[in-house]
Amino acid sequence: MELFNAIVDGDPDKALSVANRLVERGFDVQRLVTEILVPAMRRVGELFDRGDYFIADVIACAEAFRRVFENVVRPRLGGSSARRLGVAVFGTVKGDIHDLGKTLAKIIFEVEGFEVVDLGVDVSVEAFVEAVEKYNAKIIGVSALMTTTMIEQRRVIEELKKKGLRGRVIVIAGGAPVTEEWVREIGADICGDDAFKALKKVKELMGVN
Amino acid sequence: MPRPLLTLLSLEEAREVHCKAIEVLEKVGVKFEDREVAKTLLENGALERDGRVLIPEELINEAVKLAPKRIELYDRDGSRVATLGESASIFNPGSAAIKILDYESLEPRSPVMEDLKRLAVIVENMYFIDAQSTALVPGDVPMEIRDVVRLYPILKYSRKPIITGSFTVENLSIMLDFAKTVREDAWKRPFTIFDVCPSPPLSWSTLTSRNLVDLAKAGVPAEIISMPGLGSTSPTTIAGALIQHHAEVLSGIVLAQLASKNAPVIYGGSPLLAHPRYGTPVITAPEALLVSLAYRDLAKLIELPVHTYMGLSDSKLVDYQAGAESAYSSLLAAVSGFDVVSGPGMLEFESVFSFEKLVLDNELIGLVKRIRRGFDLSVDELAFDVIMDTVLSKSGNFLLHPHTRRMIRREIHLPRIWDTTPRSRWSKRSIYIEAHLEVERLLREGSTSPLEPEVERRLDALYIEVFKKAGVKPIFI
Repeated sequence: MELFNAIVDGDPDKALSVANRLVERGFDVQRLVTEILVPAMRRVGELFDRGDYFIADVIACAEAFRRVFENVVRPRLGGSSARRLGVAVFGTVKGDIHDLGKTLAKIIFEVEGFEVVDLGVDVSVEAFVEAVEKYNAKIIGVSALMTTTMIEQRRVIEELKKKGLRGRVIVIAGGAPVTEEWVREIGADICGDDAFKALKKVKELMGVN
Repeated sequence: MPRPLLTLLSLEEAREVHCKAIEVLEKVGVKFEDREVAKTLLENGALERDGRVLIPEELINEAVKLAPKRIELYDRDGSRVATLGESASIFNPGSAAIKILDYESLEPRSPVMEDLKRLAVIVENMYFIDAQSTALVPGDVPMEIRDVVRLYPILKYSRKPIITGSFTVENLSIMLDFAKTVREDAWKRPFTIFDVCPSPPLSWSTLTSRNLVDLAKAGVPAEIISMPGLGSTSPTTIAGALIQHHAEVLSGIVLAQLASKNAPVIYGGSPLLAHPRYGTPVITAPEALLVSLAYRDLAKLIELPVHTYMGLSDSKLVDYQAGAESAYSSLLAAVSGFDVVSGPGMLEFESVFSFEKLVLDNELIGLVKRIRRGFDLSVDELAFDVIMDTVLSKSGNFLLHPHTRRMIRREIHLPRIWDTTPRSRWSKRSIYIEAHLEVERLLREGSTSPLEPEVERRLDALYIEVFKKAGVKPIFI
């Protein structure tokens, strides 16, 4: 419960020290993920949905999660069990250097068992498509925070079609200004105006819980 | 002369913020995406550290000295409209909405070229809106020419000065050609102002930095619009956002002056609150408005013309919220002495435009300007004799005194669309319906300012060329 609270409070230092203590006492790392870390991040999601948490809170919680995951869980995980759901390629489109939403989505997707390849910001259409091919990605998250750069999302989808890759990936058009209408218009699969909602839909489309 | 004038920062406070911003430029520096632009600064005494350009204080002071303190703004036909730098209060519609609010359905829809013509005609006939702006992005032309074509209907139908901006490096020169085609000495007596926005925090994209350099070289007034997003792209505190804002604008002033000495620049801004839950912008948040009011005093400190985004609303409908946000922001803009105020007509975080709101905002600006005008304390206005005369010999009825008739038109401003009627004369229609009727009336009866036929032919030729390059047929409006 102490670790759960440290994550939900967004206290990375405390989360790390408590997690280390738990593991040293023999607590199984898989259980640490499934019984504490993921439920804690779910709780964070609920608090956000309810309006109690701001984005800044969620980022602090995600950082606490990431610290534990990278330092305590990952070194002890055998194989790729924590990356069982496949690769997701995330990036912010060309001309746009905002990455707040994308960073949040990345961590949330990692928590749920995706391997996230982060292409960073100002990513060209070609770089998106190349990454999908290279990593055999199942999901592509194309983020834009400005109404003027949203058009790049359409270009990424067109390029995916040209390369015959469209059918292979779930496309999330991410970013605060993205609407369901826009998603339909450009032929994306998921409206990623909210990372938690997007994750839920991705899992529905993939048929996993 | 009693006149409301709002100052937020004392001289000492303004100096403190100014010095802090300089420190930011010296120690944190600015990132320029474009290498050539970065070189311009580096060759003139700026230093590079970890890909950031550190700008020394001397360079900033020199640039501030070189920037013109006043900019004379003209209309399309060459008549002087205002002197920017003297609290000109030039209101103009907000910029670059991707949607228009449909009156019937109350749903946002994509604007078409015909809407741009409507906008140009309406603004031409708005008494208190002194400049046009390329406020709508047309959805029925290819993406790559959407910035350029917005100028066409304005140049064709309206005389008023234009606030605009380019979406690409290349299109800027085409837009400048459009303006020059209409009047040969368009830069000597400027009637266009171009917006350029740094990307917060403290960086400049290739597009905007190159635009700024090209505008400076051409001698066209550039509005440097920093847009710190409180709590996401800038500190969440007002003072922190203010320092970052000021540093970004100063970096733009330095770049412009290095590109061309005495390049005309306007100190602009569009601070916003990044919604703590949604991450989306809230432009009329009180915190954002406080940043604007404070940078207005910084612009005064360095004696530059100053611009703001006010008179707009974040509401989705033309409703109570829209009226309230537009009213308090317009009033603040007027009484704090901004030169250029962009925003009227705009809803939903500068993304949806409403003709009806524009008409109502025109009314609002009339009232706001009346407040701003204040009043005089002359003998005639103090009216001591009038009081004595009326009370003692006209049974206290001022309607009977000639002073009333003589002064009433000068002193009193009455709104036209806003309802100030007694109930017995009330139309029983809501203000939104009244505004729509006015929109229809203006489109039916409003006047336009046509170009000379020869000039119009030249403009048409450029317009056709733009469509030709994009591989589509021109849309004539």
